[in-house]
Amino acid sequence: MTAFTRRAAGFALVAGLALGASFGFVDRAGAQSPMSSAEITKQLSEVTEFDPSLTAQVLQGMAQRAVQANQPLPLDQSEIAKRLAKLAQIDVQIQFALNSAVIRPQSYAALGSIADAMHHPILWNYRFLVVGNTDTTGTRAVNLALSQKRAEAIKEALVNLGKVDPARLDAVGLGQEALEVPSKPTDPINRRVEIFTIGTMKAMPKPLQ
Amino acid sequence: MKRHIFGLAALVLAVSAGGASAQTMSFADAGALIAKSCGASIERFCARDDIGTGKVASCLQGHQKDVPQQCFAALQQAEAGTTARLAAQQATFGLCQDDARQFCKGVKPGDANLLDCLLASYKVVKGACRQGLTDAGWAN
Repeated sequence: MTAFTRRAAGFALVAGLALGASFGFVDRAGAQSPMSSAEITKQLSEVTEFDPSLTAQVLQGMAQRAVQANQPLPLDQSEIAKRLAKLAQIDVQIQFALNSAVIRPQSYAALGSIADAMHHPILWNYRFLVVGNTDTTGTRAVNLALSQKRAEAIKEALVNLGKVDPARLDAVGLGQEALEVPSKPTDPINRRVEIFTIGTMKAMPKPLQ
Repeated sequence: MKRHIFGLAALVLAVSAGGASAQTMSFADAGALIAKSCGASIERFCARDDIGTGKVASCLQGHQKDVPQQCFAALQQAEAGTTARLAAQQATFGLCQDDARQFCKGVKPGDANLLDCLLASYKVVKGACRQGLTDAGWAN
């Protein structure tokens, strides 16, 4: 990254933290204004290191096993969570119709901002993982299935409307297995979509001669 | 009077839609435009259809007489604007090739390094390159 983008990314991180702090006091879904594509671009390009073993299939398998065995999956304290936390990521609120994977019109612009970010040259060569999460309202298995459908709906919208190459996107639902705030499991703050930068598409091109 | 206002609105819409064909539009603006112009109709008639599948557009067509005309205009404008935006993004580095060779020699491509360099040289790059950067939505 150039000095310019590094500075910009640093600024975005500070803005993100400030925003995060306010979410504890206000209703997040109501008060939040969607991130601009510039902010998304900066946060998703904050690449530290990739973790090739963290795939949608691996995460999905872990969540499914935990639900089947009715065992807790303390992703928030696990190695996986620590590894996920190292990746460049954004946290977005997408509004869905109740108990369905239909994205509501008020979230079209937010989806568009994500597509815009993915079309920016700084992210052209990167792949992303879309992760859907619920809170603990409802049953665990239903939440897992619903979050999977919602993550796939977001991928579908980014591909078909946002014209993002499907090869750049993976989608996985983790249900209520990766709560943002484990101490408040029914808080809507846990209902969120995370997008992680998980790798590159191909080697970077050669410099101009 | 009501009719006049409606006529005027249609005219303004037609003019702005016409102007937009030459302009590019971000996906965020396209999404906001569709939500504003079609959101109420979508929630009313197509609440079970997923926007990513393309079923929403056909559902709106199926309810054509109940859906405001400005919704269909918005859908067209969004499609045309975002298509033009993607085309501009594809074309920009070609349009900026000479400028890149002149001002960005040795810059390592990838991670938007070349774009950063071109933007840093924004005032001196050729008009076509500058227009390309603007149309691609990267010039600010």
